[in-house]
Amino acid sequence: MSALTSEPAPAGRAPAVTEPPDPPAANKPRKKDNRTAFLMLAPALILLTTFVLVPLVYAWFVSFQRWSFYEPSVFVGLRNFRMVLADPTFRESIVRGLTFSAICVPVILVIAFCFATLVKTMGARMATVLKVSIYIPTVISGVIASIIFVLVYEYRQGLANYLLSFLGVADVPWLGSARTALYALTLPQIWLALGLASLIMLAGLLDIPESYYESAELEGANWFQRTVYITIPLLKNIILYLLVTTFVATIQQYELPLVMTDGGPTQSTLLPNLLIFQRFTSDLYPGYSIAAALLLFLVLGGLSAVIFRLINSEKAVDG
Amino acid sequence: MTLTGQTSVKALGTDAVAAASAAVPSRRRRRSARSTGPAGTVLRYLASAVVVLAALLPLAWMTISGFKARDDVVTSPFQFFPDIWQPQNYVAILQDPAFVRALGVTFTGAILFTALSLTVNSMAAYVFARLDFAFKRTLWAIVLGTMFIPQMAILLTSYIVVTRMGMLNTLAVLVIPGATAAVHIFFIRQFYLGIPTSIEEAALLDGASRWQIFLRIFLPLSKPVFVVVGITSFLAFWNAYVWPIMTITEPDSSLTQIQQYLASFRSERRVEYGMLLAGSTLAALPVITLFLIFQRYIISGIRISGIK
Repeated sequence: MSALTSEPAPAGRAPAVTEPPDPPAANKPRKKDNRTAFLMLAPALILLTTFVLVPLVYAWFVSFQRWSFYEPSVFVGLRNFRMVLADPTFRESIVRGLTFSAICVPVILVIAFCFATLVKTMGARMATVLKVSIYIPTVISGVIASIIFVLVYEYRQGLANYLLSFLGVADVPWLGSARTALYALTLPQIWLALGLASLIMLAGLLDIPESYYESAELEGANWFQRTVYITIPLLKNIILYLLVTTFVATIQQYELPLVMTDGGPTQSTLLPNLLIFQRFTSDLYPGYSIAAALLLFLVLGGLSAVIFRLINSEKAVDG
Repeated sequence: MTLTGQTSVKALGTDAVAAASAAVPSRRRRRSARSTGPAGTVLRYLASAVVVLAALLPLAWMTISGFKARDDVVTSPFQFFPDIWQPQNYVAILQDPAFVRALGVTFTGAILFTALSLTVNSMAAYVFARLDFAFKRTLWAIVLGTMFIPQMAILLTSYIVVTRMGMLNTLAVLVIPGATAAVHIFFIRQFYLGIPTSIEEAALLDGASRWQIFLRIFLPLSKPVFVVVGITSFLAFWNAYVWPIMTITEPDSSLTQIQQYLASFRSERRVEYGMLLAGSTLAALPVITLFLIFQRYIISGIRISGIK
């Protein structure tokens, strides 16, 4: 870093900035710092270009080609995209991803909301304990979570079957059966994702001025009414934000099934990104997987961008 | 979004919602004095216990099972605690040179990655926060736009790019590609926008260069935001699995990352659960410790002022 200090800041430049703080309202553009700016931006721009923009553009290029590492590529138009859309395996993986998200997202949001409500009523010390506890799984890797939950779901006899045996449920081959495997994966997913959603929800809840509740209480509103008429409307943006970001993260999950089940049994945990990843590592021509990834990108990237704009613009409107 | 792993999605959450003042730990606000009666209090503490238990039970079970004898990890009927506590699994995994090497090389990589991430992203953030230059708006829009690219859309062709660059099986392929992340630039910039301009205007009048202002004024003020971005980067690197298995392809490579090691241990030495769980515990320890040390910064870094 110290080398950067001696970077030649043009000697004559600094005094030029010493113009009066309030220059006459002329149209003269402010002095620009092009040289310094681009020097400091260079590393970030070079890295983003090389490892984000080039791969993105390249992905679009490859998706229209019959491309492989070993042969010159041939333009095939939309063939890759048609192949993806016509492929029942891909469509099934999308349905699976939607099912998976349809379970995880509401559960995460509801628990996050309950958690936030709970924390708000607790004293400072207990609140910290709760916040730290719920966030700890978030720092655990997908691989370690997978290892833990594979053993939790062990047929004879993991923690899951043990706990269920108290309810009189016979041992279930959670990850070994195509009927249950996808549902079994929701638990580690929720466990990993809950921390962040809960703390964001809590931050939103704490941002609601206490006076709203006080006056509602004076009017005789009960907890349920306060929640429905004050909390939820005021948390609308947070909930919307969490809904979209959690959905986008959940439907893209593939590390858990990759380590826990490798997509099986009989493709029952083959989530969309796992299908793409597996096809990429096994196919000689990656056109299919890249086209599939781009289709997801259009939908999910678009969704995220829209929500980000929406929330930020509402902020501007609401002040 | 970084290539380095799943944490990128979390990072988006953490960062995109964070605002300038965010990372400075703030005092807890006054709690409502609403009382819920003794039954309510019991219920609240019961619910709290459930939360703590549900969050930590899997980790506790992992740690404790590491102390079980080889055949006792999976038993029927289920047993939470070992009959006899024994440290063999922890000793055995620590005597595996491949495990220790994986820990070491992942740690080294994570430090380099974090340093690179902080350097590159903070410089860019400073420029976008303070300097006036050609194409600023366009460049900012492009940088922000990269935040919305799902990992998978660029993962495959990034692999092709690094392969063509001859970067496979090098430390560089792990450290460099994911170092710049728009979310981090965005987050640090938000923080810098909150720093009053008066100090640097005085410095500019005194003839300081923009570099000097960045190094002498902004960097020393950056601690809270650097803690959040630094830990996010460290975690992303430490927890990365998919990018390492794509790019570190030589078997028994000295660059094998810790998550890679654990996953292959699981598939190759399927029955040695005790060692696997001991190894997982040791691999989870650094990130949990790091989080516990800096939890104040991280938790208050998750604010919503940015998206309200």
